[in-house]
Amino acid sequence: MKTYAETDILDVIIIGSGAGGAPLAARLAQAGKSVLVLEAGPKFTPSHYTSDEIEAREIYWLNERLSGGRNPQPFGGNNSGTGVGGSLLHYGAFLPRPDARDFQLQTETGLSVDWPFRYEELLPYIEEVEAFIGVSGPPQYPWDSSRHYAYAPPPANPAAVKMREACDAIGLRHADGPTALITRSFNQPHFGTRQGCVSCGACHQGCRNGAKSGADNTWLPFAVAHGAEIRPGCFVHTIETDQAGRVTGVVYKQNGQDIRQRCEKLVLSAGAVETARLLLHNGLANSSGQVGENYMTHISTQIWGEIDQEVRPNRGYPSLTITEDMMRPKDADFAGGYLIQSLGMMPITWASNIARGSTRRGADLVRTLAGYNRSIGMGIHGDCMPSPENRVVLSDEKDSFGIPKPLITHSYGPNELAMHAHASRLLTSMWDAIGVRDLRILDRAAHMMGTARMGKDSGSAVVTPYGQSFDIDNLWISDHSTFPSATAANPALTIMALSLRTADAMLAH
Amino acid sequence: MTHPSDTPLFLASNHLSRRTHDILKERLEEDSSALPRTLSPTAFAVLERLVTVLLPQEEILGQQTLNLALRVDMALSGPRDGWRFAELPSDIQAWEQALLTLNDLSISQFERPFPQLEDSAVEAFLDGMGEGKVGLHTPDRLQPPQMQKWSLDLRADVIECFLADPRVQDRLGMSANLNGGDERFQGFETVQANEREDFEPITKICSAA
Repeated sequence: MKTYAETDILDVIIIGSGAGGAPLAARLAQAGKSVLVLEAGPKFTPSHYTSDEIEAREIYWLNERLSGGRNPQPFGGNNSGTGVGGSLLHYGAFLPRPDARDFQLQTETGLSVDWPFRYEELLPYIEEVEAFIGVSGPPQYPWDSSRHYAYAPPPANPAAVKMREACDAIGLRHADGPTALITRSFNQPHFGTRQGCVSCGACHQGCRNGAKSGADNTWLPFAVAHGAEIRPGCFVHTIETDQAGRVTGVVYKQNGQDIRQRCEKLVLSAGAVETARLLLHNGLANSSGQVGENYMTHISTQIWGEIDQEVRPNRGYPSLTITEDMMRPKDADFAGGYLIQSLGMMPITWASNIARGSTRRGADLVRTLAGYNRSIGMGIHGDCMPSPENRVVLSDEKDSFGIPKPLITHSYGPNELAMHAHASRLLTSMWDAIGVRDLRILDRAAHMMGTARMGKDSGSAVVTPYGQSFDIDNLWISDHSTFPSATAANPALTIMALSLRTADAMLAH
Repeated sequence: MTHPSDTPLFLASNHLSRRTHDILKERLEEDSSALPRTLSPTAFAVLERLVTVLLPQEEILGQQTLNLALRVDMALSGPRDGWRFAELPSDIQAWEQALLTLNDLSISQFERPFPQLEDSAVEAFLDGMGEGKVGLHTPDRLQPPQMQKWSLDLRADVIECFLADPRVQDRLGMSANLNGGDERFQGFETVQANEREDFEPITKICSAA
């Protein structure tokens, strides 16, 4: 890997090496730009990942966050990663495309906001991402006959099979979902051999054989091969500007030392909490007053229950079956929609959800835990609207770097509550229809989006539709903080597609 | 409380990575000799009493139960999970104050410290916390809404420490850690219902069968 000196002035510094930063690094490096990616976390060795869910927290973002509001969101493994590859190291690899209608929800319903461009504009980038990283899916996708996936789906585990039965029972279409993993070995250019998925089930604890399509085994090696440097263990705390207000560089902490690195352009790809925290802490790019505002999640209601079979929910790709039939349900009393997926789960993650989502205790709790090997689940990802109630601000408490810890306020509004209630009824009827027992609904939210939204108006958005700051022309944002609304799709694919689009805009700029 | 020394057979499997093996092996011995290092003696005694009612271990582990309170105490001093409720002070402070809140309430309501309460009274406290009805409005103690939040942390940490133990995993027939060795990363050959592979532990208690 090429390395740059501290005295070098880079064409581009990117803060964060995940879904937002990595594709852009690859694109800009390929175009001949000098690119440095600063990653706060370490570089992990995939074969060293452990299925032990306590120790596996090493790949989660563990700098403490304060979580408030009426629906305080658990962080850690729920949504934020660390290490070279970012949150894609631990993501579940469920890779549905966003629904075109979710980009125009205000036009459709009068609620939420429209994205500043149409889905069709992002589609070529979505297809490029899928082709480059490797995605598996069914030969025919029921909700979009035009798309094709390069890899066959992994084997269906019992939760996936049972969800198919439940869909059939109540008349919903279903399919194997798009998953960001490869099911046969592939020699990834500039990386090497990636093995096919072996159904180990520990996607969230780090993929040990390269089957999961992350940034660490796709975009980043490509970027490095084209001259980019990935520098791990570098926590950026200061963004420096000149008298004209343009970015001149950053200061980061590495091994206890403050190091300055200068650049022509800076890209923030640190995620919806850290990107906002960095801007707020440095008092930058906020003439709109929108930095930190409109924090969003996905409504991620789950249902769990038991069947009279030994299903061992740790085995197999966790969440294979999908239905998109609830993207615009006919009986909806809310705007937007949600995806449903089947769920297997590793035991401690599963049990933590029970701990936080139920009041069971004593013998009842023991019996529930003992039912792990008979448990099957389903979960939704539902669109979430921007709300002035929900935000990231700086708290009064400092972290170990001397920077204020982020305080995240998250409360469901009427639309989110209505969607959760709708999903709870539907999921219950689905498991009831095939005789699943001891049903438990878990009210939870996952993922993070918003806090530096894009738009056409500098008074109500932080960045342009291409991710460029309205206030500082050499400052760009490439991560889910630019999402104007959540959409129902898991965010990774949209983040990566936007990242390539932003890179193209930077090259054209 | 006894300290189990039996080692689950699955720890010898070549479907377990060396690193995971070492993590689990070390955890087996975690509570054999240590003393609480995070909580005060009074708070720790309250936690011990709470844990026996929240999660009675005997059905799963027989008489060889874990010192779960001690494991939670140790976990509180280790790396945490990256977040906390905004309404609560730092984890260690919150746990100390929550447990002392329960002790104060026990003394004022039952004229004896929390560890001496009957199961039914402890159950009532657990349920009351969940409903936001237990707490104190005095300095260094937690108010009812704070206790309600903390009770979720209590439940999560106790359950996590329990399921993290390889003996518990073995008794419940869990194969999550047997997902691949170092020499060969096997994964699972079958993911079908009712098809157990030879290396996967069988369930050893009736209610899990």
